[in-house]
Amino acid sequence: MKTMLSKVAFILSLAVLWETVRIAGGYSELLLPGLLSVASSFWAERAELLKNALFSLRIIGTGLSTAVALAMLLTLLCMNGRLFPGVITDIMAIMHPLPGIAILPVAILWFGIGVKSVLFVIVFSAVWPLANHFYTGFRSIPRNQLEIGRNLGLSGLKLALSVMLPASFPHILGGLRSGWARAWQASVAAELVFGAAGGQGGLGWYLYKKRFMMETPGVFAGMLVIIAIGLVVEYLIFTTVENLTVRKWKVVAD
Amino acid sequence: MRRKKIFRAMSLLLVLLLLSSAGFILSGCGDRVQAGSTGKAQDSSGGEVIRVAKQFGLVYAPLMVAEKKEFFSKYGLKVEWVTLGSGGAVREAMASGKLDAAFMGIPPFLIGWDKGLPAKIAAGYTVSPVQLVTYDQNIKGIKDFRPEHKIALPSPGSVQHILLAMALEKELGDPKALDDNLVALPHPDGTQAMLAKKDVVAHFTTPPYLFEELAQPGYRVVLDGFEAFGGEFNFNVLLVTKDYHDRHPAGYAAFIMGLNDAMNWLNEHKMEAAELLAPEFKIEKEKLYRYLTSEGLNFTTAPYGLLGFAEFMKKAGYISKVPRDLSEIAWENVLAVVGKREGEPCQLEKMQLPR
Repeated sequence: MKTMLSKVAFILSLAVLWETVRIAGGYSELLLPGLLSVASSFWAERAELLKNALFSLRIIGTGLSTAVALAMLLTLLCMNGRLFPGVITDIMAIMHPLPGIAILPVAILWFGIGVKSVLFVIVFSAVWPLANHFYTGFRSIPRNQLEIGRNLGLSGLKLALSVMLPASFPHILGGLRSGWARAWQASVAAELVFGAAGGQGGLGWYLYKKRFMMETPGVFAGMLVIIAIGLVVEYLIFTTVENLTVRKWKVVAD
Repeated sequence: MRRKKIFRAMSLLLVLLLLSSAGFILSGCGDRVQAGSTGKAQDSSGGEVIRVAKQFGLVYAPLMVAEKKEFFSKYGLKVEWVTLGSGGAVREAMASGKLDAAFMGIPPFLIGWDKGLPAKIAAGYTVSPVQLVTYDQNIKGIKDFRPEHKIALPSPGSVQHILLAMALEKELGDPKALDDNLVALPHPDGTQAMLAKKDVVAHFTTPPYLFEELAQPGYRVVLDGFEAFGGEFNFNVLLVTKDYHDRHPAGYAAFIMGLNDAMNWLNEHKMEAAELLAPEFKIEKEKLYRYLTSEGLNFTTAPYGLLGFAEFMKKAGYISKVPRDLSEIAWENVLAVVGKREGEPCQLEKMQLPR
């Protein structure tokens, strides 16, 4: 309750600061819109915002789950084999610093203009940090824990599920967090570059449209929705999962 | 516990500091604009300077001519060309005082004007064909587009988008009927997609992209911009910000004069212009000459159809108000050209109105 209150107070003080800066600076609505006009733009466009947000979430969900599966596959290849670890870690080292949006031109050439290209960019953006975290997680499992597991007669899937997974879960969770963030960045950036194909567009396309109609309050409303979704996912999903798993297992310190 | 409190207070302080510095950056921009338009607008020799957004395409030939033939420096004006990615960025740069002048279609300008963009029309800038092209033999008119047919045009709110909406309203009664079919693509990318017959079936575009597409067998025009509009209109208009117009009358006048000189020279010397500009456009001079002399293209600074889009755009919800008269959207040199006849409006006044 107290933390809730302090969060609300923090957001309120931000709002006050925003309005103070705007009024003191005498900015026009084109440069820095007032909170009220952002709120009214949000309310007037709520149906479209919801539609676009759902579209974004769907495409990010698809992209992220594909990326997680791919990252798992890469990690497993890394863990079981002699040749693979070197090659795959090299590939990761090459690909990881490459921003997902940089491959958009190639994506458009291969997949055309539309959802497929955006999906490709999302998967590409998310898969490297995911794989990196997973691999680090599996490698950093303490040897004695594995030995204890083996001594208890665990092997194969059982060993993986009851020893390796919990031990590396903090890293996996970290990977999911950065994968999620990169997926969002990729989807919004891709839609800002070439718009969207047809009526199917996410929040990036919403920002793009509002920008071209010079509706700055609408641009801010779109950004606030993206922030709100980020907060909800962080506090409701990631924190809950964290509390139910690694904190409960005492893998990480409180 | 106490340490936690201190930590929390410190982080709050840090956030406040960051935010206020963001505020300073914003206000710093404002200061620089002021300084820029007074200090920077005169170069070391005391001549005027104007910052203009540069774009690409055949309609920018007069500007290239003006540079090559030194039509601006003749009047003591130095032009700083600024290259920006899109029309949206041009408008934003004008709003934040980073640009003094830009060329833009009438509809995107009206959207900016509606939202308080401090700029007005300083001249018309060319009249150019703009047409919707398709290669799909089943599409005979705009009512033949199906939901899976994608149409490329430069951006939402562009002149192409509004023309399409105008035609849709006339034929189907719904200006937004094809909004879900639109793909926002810059002209060159749209042409590439059209020639590859990939992703899009139609492209709303202008010369030289228009000519390149129509030169292919089976590519034809579905919708003509002039027909959709019901007359001729400036493809672009020259916008000058209020700040520059008010503070630099000499620079303003010099830019208009240089532009007039360039248009006139181009019209008088198309062959020479083709030779001069062929390396810039990276095409053969014969081809460029054909483009420059093609049907419907008019290099002019006269105002055409300035008020013609506003009423439709308001009705369709793209803008919230309509200019009461030309003086709300154009500077005095344009108003003087159009004139104000007592009684019935004159020919030039009628040309600015919707039909």
